[in-house]
Amino acid sequence: MSATLTLAGRRRKRPIGRYVRIAGGITACIMFLFPIFWMVLTSFKMPRDIFTTPPTFFFTPTIETYTSYLQHADIPNRMLNTVIVACGAGLISIAAGSMAGYALARIKVKGLATMGALILLSRGVPPIALAVPMFLVARNLGLTDKHITLILAYCTFLIPYVMWLMRGFFKALPEELEESAMLDGCSRFGAFFRIIVPISLPGLLSTLIFSVILAWEELLFALVLTNRYASTIPVAIAGIAGDSVNGANWGALTAVGTLTVLPVVVFALLVQKWLIKGLADGATKG
Amino acid sequence: MGAVDIRGVRKSYGDHKVMHGVSIAIPDGEFVALVGPSGCGKSTLLRMIAGLEEITEGDILIGDRVINDVAPKDRDIAMVFQNYALYPHMSVRKNMAFALKLRRLPPAEIEKRVRSVAEILSLEPLLDRKPRALSGGQRQRVAMGRAIVRDPQVFLFDEPLSNLDAKLRVQMRSELKELHQRLGTTTVYVTHDQIEAMTLANRVVVMNAGRVEQVGAPLELYDRPDNLFVAAFIGSPPMNFLQGAVTEDRSGLTLPDGLVLAVPGGVYASAGTPVTIGIRPEHFTIASAGWPVAVSVIEPTGSETQISTRLAGRTLRVLIRGRTAVEPGETIHITAEPDNIHVFDTQTGLRIDRR
Repeated sequence: MSATLTLAGRRRKRPIGRYVRIAGGITACIMFLFPIFWMVLTSFKMPRDIFTTPPTFFFTPTIETYTSYLQHADIPNRMLNTVIVACGAGLISIAAGSMAGYALARIKVKGLATMGALILLSRGVPPIALAVPMFLVARNLGLTDKHITLILAYCTFLIPYVMWLMRGFFKALPEELEESAMLDGCSRFGAFFRIIVPISLPGLLSTLIFSVILAWEELLFALVLTNRYASTIPVAIAGIAGDSVNGANWGALTAVGTLTVLPVVVFALLVQKWLIKGLADGATKG
Repeated sequence: MGAVDIRGVRKSYGDHKVMHGVSIAIPDGEFVALVGPSGCGKSTLLRMIAGLEEITEGDILIGDRVINDVAPKDRDIAMVFQNYALYPHMSVRKNMAFALKLRRLPPAEIEKRVRSVAEILSLEPLLDRKPRALSGGQRQRVAMGRAIVRDPQVFLFDEPLSNLDAKLRVQMRSELKELHQRLGTTTVYVTHDQIEAMTLANRVVVMNAGRVEQVGAPLELYDRPDNLFVAAFIGSPPMNFLQGAVTEDRSGLTLPDGLVLAVPGGVYASAGTPVTIGIRPEHFTIASAGWPVAVSVIEPTGSETQISTRLAGRTLRVLIRGRTAVEPGETIHITAEPDNIHVFDTQTGLRIDRR
């Protein structure tokens, strides 16, 4: 009885602040989601519906843009390239970056922290300053327009990112876990793979997802380092937007854009549970 | 054989020396407690035995094998950590079986050993739970089970009870002692709690600032502390100290403010020597004659009563069995048996024995 009363009391006292917060949240969601919504909507419009003033929300949807553009613009191939490059770069950087982050979190060697900071600092260099030298290196090695080139290029900025994120996760874990494993019969590597990796799985997965997304949407390196064979979706989108002959084809742009976002959204929804857990862990454990 | 022999072990981090030549011989089957204030090097020493910390100088032997450069996994020791360090993603059963699996024992043998240890520690109903679903005391038991199941040559405990509440700590203390009596495995136990050290160990090593102050049986340390540090560290409530100079006739002490105190049995040092005398609170008795002290606070616990008194501006604690009719503000006389009065050289801190 008393419990019911308390509950009711609490409900009555619910502050206005709560509604303000809900309203704020909804506004933020609209701000973030509306462009995507508009892109998806536009992709189903006929060209004549795209530029109407005022903009129209109700029209006869068509998938013509999808069918016509996808057939002659090599989009499926580029989609496949993007998958290969993003997943390849994501996986390599999570493997290398997490081990580097672990070393940074645990091994006490003079200068290691400085080295870690320097690696992070390298991210401060504008990508465009690196793109040209990278192109020259790739050309000399005969590696232009190959998946591996793009994968390695992405690793240069993903590994520092993964390394620092994972360093935070690992630092939050008590060292005694590995020490205990090492006394139980593991080597340092064994302790890392058998104990630390399974415990850090949420963190590793969310970092992997972010890395894949970063690589997925990368344009500059892809533009410089690939030509036709290994070219990715962002390059295709840039090509459509910057078509100097026919002008930007907004229908195609939004259709390809939608197709680009779709796998990421599906992926994120599938791993949402892990993603939120990983983010929250990072937030509370610093 | 699980004897541990620590020979002249030193440790430094760069130029910073933290351990200055520690030697302790621990016979097979003994329960040794390393005790001392925080920062005294006791945990570092334990971690050096475990192989988690490098030895700068000296040797550590288990049995007759020097283990300085042996990897932790090959030392055949098990350690219980202060925070238990249970693997959070594994059930209790898997936590306990982990080391055995790594040693590639047959699954039937692993199951048998886990079951038998779980039975000893009453862990059977918890075997399929994850550590986060356990209480502090249960986690502590699992950590012990994980160590026991391996049947190692040496157990190392690093303040294993300090995360438990007072009541549980006392209970686990008895369990630990019983377990050691049953298994007879050499045990090195680190604690900052002298009561824990005294009650558990066959021998206690008192450490301070990277040095061993005294090694001995618990009551030996209590009865005959080698120096002021041990005298002050062992015993609760702590020993009372009075500093002064030995009087001409060596019958007592001249305190710095000129007050002359007669010491029962006299002081066995040459006249004029600066000495510190130490008397445990429980060794004072209230008598008709003796040092006149003013009672300031009375703290009864039922079985005994602690009386704080003032003697020329110094506080002296007196602990008596049972109860007392003494009131705060009253002046009483206290005295002690000559055998219970410890004399130390104030400058060196070393004990001066009666000759």
